[in-house]
Amino acid sequence: MTPAILVEGLCKTFRPPFRLKKVRAVRSVSFTVNPGEVFGFLGPNGAGKTTTIKVLTGLIRPTAGRATVLGGPPTSIQVKARVGFLPEQPYFYDYLKPTELLDIFGRLFGMDRSTRRRRIHELLEAVGLAHAKDRTLRKFSKGMLQRVGLAQALLNDPELLILDEPMSGLDPIGRKEVADLIASLKARGKTIFFSSHILADIERLCDRVVILDRGEIKAEGRLDDLLAGGRWEKEAVVRVRPGGDGPRVETWPGVIRVEEIDPATLRVVASGEAFNPVLQRLVEAGFEVVGAGDRRLSLEALLMGLTRRGDEAREASA
Amino acid sequence: MTASGDGNRVARSSGSSWVRVHALALNTFIEASRNRAFVGLGIAAVGLVASAIAVSQLAIRDQAARVLVDFGLFAVSLLSVVIAIVMGVILIFKEVDRKTFYLVLPKPVRRSEVVAGKFAGLLAVLVVAVALMGAAWFLSLWARDVPLNPDMVKALVLVWLEAALLTSVALFFSSFATPVMSGVFTFGIFLVGRSIPILEELLRAKKGVLVRSPVARTIAEAVTGTFPDLSVFHVGKELILGVPVGWDYVAGVTLYCAGYCIFFLALGMLIFRRRDFV
Repeated sequence: MTPAILVEGLCKTFRPPFRLKKVRAVRSVSFTVNPGEVFGFLGPNGAGKTTTIKVLTGLIRPTAGRATVLGGPPTSIQVKARVGFLPEQPYFYDYLKPTELLDIFGRLFGMDRSTRRRRIHELLEAVGLAHAKDRTLRKFSKGMLQRVGLAQALLNDPELLILDEPMSGLDPIGRKEVADLIASLKARGKTIFFSSHILADIERLCDRVVILDRGEIKAEGRLDDLLAGGRWEKEAVVRVRPGGDGPRVETWPGVIRVEEIDPATLRVVASGEAFNPVLQRLVEAGFEVVGAGDRRLSLEALLMGLTRRGDEAREASA
Repeated sequence: MTASGDGNRVARSSGSSWVRVHALALNTFIEASRNRAFVGLGIAAVGLVASAIAVSQLAIRDQAARVLVDFGLFAVSLLSVVIAIVMGVILIFKEVDRKTFYLVLPKPVRRSEVVAGKFAGLLAVLVVAVALMGAAWFLSLWARDVPLNPDMVKALVLVWLEAALLTSVALFFSSFATPVMSGVFTFGIFLVGRSIPILEELLRAKKGVLVRSPVARTIAEAVTGTFPDLSVFHVGKELILGVPVGWDYVAGVTLYCAGYCIFFLALGMLIFRRRDFV
């Protein structure tokens, strides 16, 4: 089965204007998106998400490595005809009406006049802009422009949708509608690759995610696996010996933190790799282990644990 | 929000290159025609009529017709060149600066088609502009009882061809340079192109700087051999003297213009194809 997106060893280096030093925006990034998946692309600002998306849409060329989309190069006309793309904060020809914009893009997709008319009508209804079809785009609010952006991305009924921050600028109702749209597209077998800062949406919609930071992949996999915490955190609930001064468990290697549930009960959280030795040491120290298991992380905690921003936030609070 | 759509009902072929270039040209034309610059053009055309009539009032009685013909054609030509350079320089920059290319380039379109579409759209804008200004010029001639003749239409066609050539030069420079630099470079080519007859005369002369300095002579020969000679687009003298301008001449100049347009556009497409849109 041909992957919807295949990225292998992708590197992109820029030289900012008037500077000698190059900036490495993406460093040896590899991942695969399977057909029919909803794939989340996560990371803080400056992680390299938009750079990677620009390679996938043929806006920039990689410095090294390769990317294929629907089995072909991203710059191929045949490939682009099967892909829909919504850039981050899309900019439009503000002198056009939404119907005119979609008509011009429909011509680029080789649609005949009747198909264009029908499709434009369907899409403006679908994104809730039918009432504003005769207004020029310069009179649209940010949320309305985001909806036009979604309409143009869906114009060709694409097999693969690449959405860069699709919820950006939308109110909660708009976000819910976009989330429903993504779910309905998934139900129709479409592949959706999207980046978002809104973690709840990623958690709700994505089958798999890649977490990117400073141009490198920090984690990749099924969201359930990543959040189950087996690889990241485990916890043990232990009873303290009555009257005893227990050892300072929080200083043991591999222990992330110790929480007091009540005066006689502690929750010891350790990294996944170090958990078994920690558990062994707890037993040897005379603690009564009343429970142990995986600790399910929130996506936010996972992201904070993996990225530089998370490191900085922890340092600031220490 | 629901995603209606059926893969069988939505054409997803990329269509022909011509259709795509036509769509991009249409967008360029709509952009230009809804731009305030076009309102400015209308004002300039009215100003042209008024100033041509005013200047002819100052001329000696039997010279008024000559002044109207010469000044009017000069004004149409100058305004067309300004439109060609300004729009040619600004259009691609605006798309990059406002990031509208982020929506267009991921569509099934070649980058060369984007340049061709911009060029075709600007040619259409120039047709309208030259036609409007030409109409204003004819109006000024009619108001002063100067007889109109078909060679004046040919003169306007030649003005349009010159503007087309300069548009291709402006698009070439704007494929890699800033608008200011592109404007300066294009205006430089315009100045050199209009000066080619003077350079050729200096090269033919028996004395002067081009005879004394072999380096200057080599440079002058290189310039006259490579730069477009924009004087071929000007038949003002012929109109005044009543020398007929044949369609065969217009056809020859059209080929000359097409050669340069293809050269500059091909170079622009080559650079544009390799450009990153960061």
